[in-house]
Amino acid sequence: MSENKDILLSIRNLKTHFHVRKRVIRAVDGVSLDVRAGKTLGLVGESGCGKSITAHTILRLLPKTARIKDGEIIFHSRKRQPVDLLKLQPSGKEMRGIRGNDISMIFQDPMSSLNPVYRIGDQIVESILEHENTTRAEAMERALEMLKRLSIPSAEKRIREYPHQFSGGMKQRVMIAMGLICNPELLIADEPTTALDVTIQAQILELMQELQRQLGFTIILITHNMGIVADVADDVAVMYMGKIMEFGSKEDVFLRPSHPYTRALLKSVPVLGNSGRDLLEPIRGSTPDPSDLPEGCSFAPRCDFAKPECGQAIPYVDVGNGHLVRCVLAEGREVRDGQ
Amino acid sequence: MEAKAQKIVKSSRMRNVASKLVSNKAALLGLAIIVIIILLCALAPLMTPYNPTKPDFSAQVQPPGGAHPFGTDKLGRDILARVLYGGRVSILIGLSGAVGGMLLGVIIGSLCGYFRGWLDAVFVKVAELVSIFPQILLVLVLVTILQQSMYNLIMIFIATGWVATFRMVRGRFFSLREESFVEACRVFGLGDLSIAFRHILPNCLGPVIVQLTLNTAGFILQEAALSFIGLGVPSGTPTWGNIMNAAKEIVSINQYPWVWLAPGLAIALFVLGVNFFGDGLRDALDPKQI
Amino acid sequence: MLKYFVKRLIMMIPMIVFISFLVFVALDLTPGDPLTAQFSPESISGLTHEQLDALREEAGLNDSLVVRYLRWFGGVLKGDFGYSIQTGTPIGSIIANLLPATIYLALAALVLSVLMGLLFGILSAIKHNTIIDYLSSLFGVIGISMPEFFIGILAILIFAIQLKWFPAQGRTEIGATFWVNLKYILLPALSLGLALTAALTRYTRNSMLDVMNKNYVKTARAKGLSEWKVFYRHVFRNALMPISVLICLRLPMLIGGSVVIEQVFGYAGIGSRLLTAINSNDYQLVLSIIFLLSIVSLLSSVLIDLITGLLDPRVRYN
Repeated sequence: MSENKDILLSIRNLKTHFHVRKRVIRAVDGVSLDVRAGKTLGLVGESGCGKSITAHTILRLLPKTARIKDGEIIFHSRKRQPVDLLKLQPSGKEMRGIRGNDISMIFQDPMSSLNPVYRIGDQIVESILEHENTTRAEAMERALEMLKRLSIPSAEKRIREYPHQFSGGMKQRVMIAMGLICNPELLIADEPTTALDVTIQAQILELMQELQRQLGFTIILITHNMGIVADVADDVAVMYMGKIMEFGSKEDVFLRPSHPYTRALLKSVPVLGNSGRDLLEPIRGSTPDPSDLPEGCSFAPRCDFAKPECGQAIPYVDVGNGHLVRCVLAEGREVRDGQ
Repeated sequence: MEAKAQKIVKSSRMRNVASKLVSNKAALLGLAIIVIIILLCALAPLMTPYNPTKPDFSAQVQPPGGAHPFGTDKLGRDILARVLYGGRVSILIGLSGAVGGMLLGVIIGSLCGYFRGWLDAVFVKVAELVSIFPQILLVLVLVTILQQSMYNLIMIFIATGWVATFRMVRGRFFSLREESFVEACRVFGLGDLSIAFRHILPNCLGPVIVQLTLNTAGFILQEAALSFIGLGVPSGTPTWGNIMNAAKEIVSINQYPWVWLAPGLAIALFVLGVNFFGDGLRDALDPKQI
Repeated sequence: MLKYFVKRLIMMIPMIVFISFLVFVALDLTPGDPLTAQFSPESISGLTHEQLDALREEAGLNDSLVVRYLRWFGGVLKGDFGYSIQTGTPIGSIIANLLPATIYLALAALVLSVLMGLLFGILSAIKHNTIIDYLSSLFGVIGISMPEFFIGILAILIFAIQLKWFPAQGRTEIGATFWVNLKYILLPALSLGLALTAALTRYTRNSMLDVMNKNYVKTARAKGLSEWKVFYRHVFRNALMPISVLICLRLPMLIGGSVVIEQVFGYAGIGSRLLTAINSNDYQLVLSIIFLLSIVSLLSSVLIDLITGLLDPRVRYN
C-alpha cells in the first residue's frame, strides 16, 4: 500500500465500534484499504462482517451508538486538498459538501430508499440544488438527461411520477441517477442488486459499468456475492469480522487466493464458469459473537489450517503486486519491495 | 411431535413476552394499580361499614376526616363507600364492553379477512359508518329510544367497540392469508374455519389484547362522561361518573371539592394503570424491540 | 388530485342518506304526536279532533315510512327541520343560532391540540431518551387517562374560582374582541382538547421515531442535506401522514366531547341544548341535532382525508 498518485481514497487502521448495552461490538476493527481512482473495488464478505459499516463510516452516516475509535480516511479529491474524513464534523458543512457531491452512496433496498411522497424528479434535483448554484429548471433538465442515460423509458413522463409507480429495478436506476447527478468522484454501492431479480441484477451492474466508462468515477461495490465481484471488480477486498483478510487485484485474489477464508468463500459460492465437477463446500461452523472476538485471527476457529500462532496478532504479508494477506500461512512467502 | 415443537416455540415466546413485561417498570406499576383498585372495590364491604346509597341527614357534606375518611355528599352518603361500590359498576361496564367488543371484532374480522368478498365489503362500510358517528351521539339516540340502564350501556359499547379490533384482525388476516403456512394447512386438507380460527387467528392476538386495554380505558372514561351528564347508568346506582354528577354545580366545585375529587382521581388512576399496562404489553409484544 | 377530491365527496352522499334514514326511523320509533313537530303551535291550537285528523291526512302522516322519509329529507335539505315540541320554535333557527358556537369550540380545541401535540411529540422524538422525552411521554399517558370533564372542573376550580384568571361559565356573543373571546374559549377548548393533545403527543413521537429510521432518511442525509432540511422535508412531512389519520379517527370524539364540556362550562352551544332537549323528551329536536352533528363529523373526516391525500401521493393514486 504505497503512496500512489492514482489512489482516490485510502483508509488506514479504521476502527468503528458500537456500544450496545455495555457490550462493545467491534464492527470494523482495523481496516486498511486503498481505492484506486477510476477503478472498481469489490468489498466482499458475509453479512455482518462490517463491510456496510465501513462504507457508512466513509460518509460519516453512522447511528448514534457507533464510535469511531481510531484510524484515518484520506480522500484525495481532484477538486480539493486531501482531507481526512474522520476529522470532519459528521453533519458539518464540509462533510455535507462532500456527501452526495464528491462521494455518493446508493443503498441495498431501492424500495424503501426513495421518499414515497415526492416525485422522483424532485428527489434527484434535491442534490443539485444543495450543492450547486443553479436554477431548478436547469437542474430538472440535467435530471432528465441522467434518467435517459440510465435508459429509463419515457423519462419525460416518469420524472414527474412517484416512487410507488416504479418497479424495483427502475427504482434502483433512479437511485443511481441520484447518486451520479452531481458527478461524484466516488460512488459507494452497498449491495445495489441484492433486493432485485437476477435478470435485473445483471442489467443494473452493466449500466453502472457503462456509466463508469463514460463518466470516469470510482466505485466501491459492497456485496456478499463472489460472482458479482468476479464480473465487475478490478480490485477485491475480502472482509471477515471487521478485518480485511485479503486484498489485491481481482486476478490475484481469484486465481491465487492465499487466505483460507477466501478459498473457503470461493468454494462455497457458485461462480460462473466454474465447472460443475467442483462441488460446493459450505464453510464449517458459524461466525463468532462480534462482541467477543478471539485474539489474533478471528477465522481460526473455523479454519482447517489453524495453528497455535493464529492466536497472536497477525501482520499483513505482501505476496506480490500489492496482494496482501493477513494469515500466518502466508508468512515467509512475502515479497520485498521492487522484487 | 410437530405439535410439541409448536408448543415449545409458543411457550418460549410467551416467556419472552412475560420477561419483557416484568422488566418494564411502568407496566408493572400499571398492573399493581389495576389489581389494587379492583381488590379494594371487590372487597368494599370489608373496607367500609357504610351503605353507598343510604342517605344520612345527620352527616351532610362533611369534609374528609374522622368517621368519613373521604367525607360525605349532600345526602350524607359516605364518599369512600360510594367510590368503592361505584368502582365495581364502572370497571364492570368498561371490562365487559371491551371484552364483548373484542369478541365481536375478532369473529367478524377473522371471517371478513379470511373469506373476503361481499361479506368483507359490507362490514368495511358498517365499520366506517360506526367510526365516523360520534359514540356519545349514538348512545344518546339509543337512550332516547330505549331506557337508560347499565345493560343498554354495555350493549352500546359492544356495538361500537368492535371496529378497531375488526380492522386490526382483518388487516392481519389479509397479510397472513398469503403466508406459506396457510397454504400448508390447505394442502393438509384442513377446513376453512379451522385454518382461520386455529392457525391464523393466534398470530393476531397480541395487538388484539393491547386494543382490549385501550378499549377498557376508553369505555370507563365514556361511562364516566355519560353518567356525569346524567345519561349513563341511572342515578340510583353509584358509578364513578354518577358520583361526579354532583360537580355540575359551581357551588359544589368551589365549596366541597372532595365530593368530586375522589371519584375523579379514582377514574384517572385506574385508567392510568390500564394505559401503563397496555403500553408495556405493546412494547413487550413488539418483535422489533429486543 | 381533483379527481380524488370529487370522488371522496361523492362517496359521502350515500353515507349522509343512510344516516338521515337511520335518524328518521329512530324519530318514527319515539313516542309523541308527529303533528306537533310539523306545525307551529299557533296554527293547530284551536283545531278540533276531526280537523286534526284531516290535517294529518293532508300532511301525509298516514303515508308509508319511505314516502314520509323522502318528504322529511327534502325539507331538511331546504333547512326545514320542523318545530321543537317543547318551545314551538322552528328547529332550523335553534340550530342556526347554536351550531356555530359549538363548531367554534371544537375548532379551537382542534387547533390548540394539534399545535401542542405536534410540538410535544416532535420535541420528544428529537430529544429521544432524554428528560424532555420522558416528561412529554408522561404527559401523554396521563392526558389520555383523565376524563375531559374532570379536567374541566379542576380548571374551573383552579383558574376561574381560585386565581380568577378566566370566567368560570358562559361564552361570548359574536362581535366580542379577540381577548375577551380568548378568555372565554381557552379553558373549555383546552379541556376538550386535552385527550387529543395527549394522543397526538404520543403518536407524533412514535411516528417521528419510526420515520427517522427509514432508509429514505438515510438517502436524504447521503445527499448532503443539512439536518434541518432532512428533518422538515423528509422526516416531518412523512410523519404527518399517519398523524392526519389519527386526527381523522379522533374528530368524532371531539364533537361528542363538546356535549360534555359545554355542560361543564355552561357554554351555550348545540351540545347543551341537546341535553335539555333529551331531558324534556323533545325528540324532533334531539334527532335533528344528532343528525347535524354526525354530518359535521362526517364532513370533517372527509376534510382530513383530503389533507391525507394531499400529503400522500399513494392515497390519491389509488
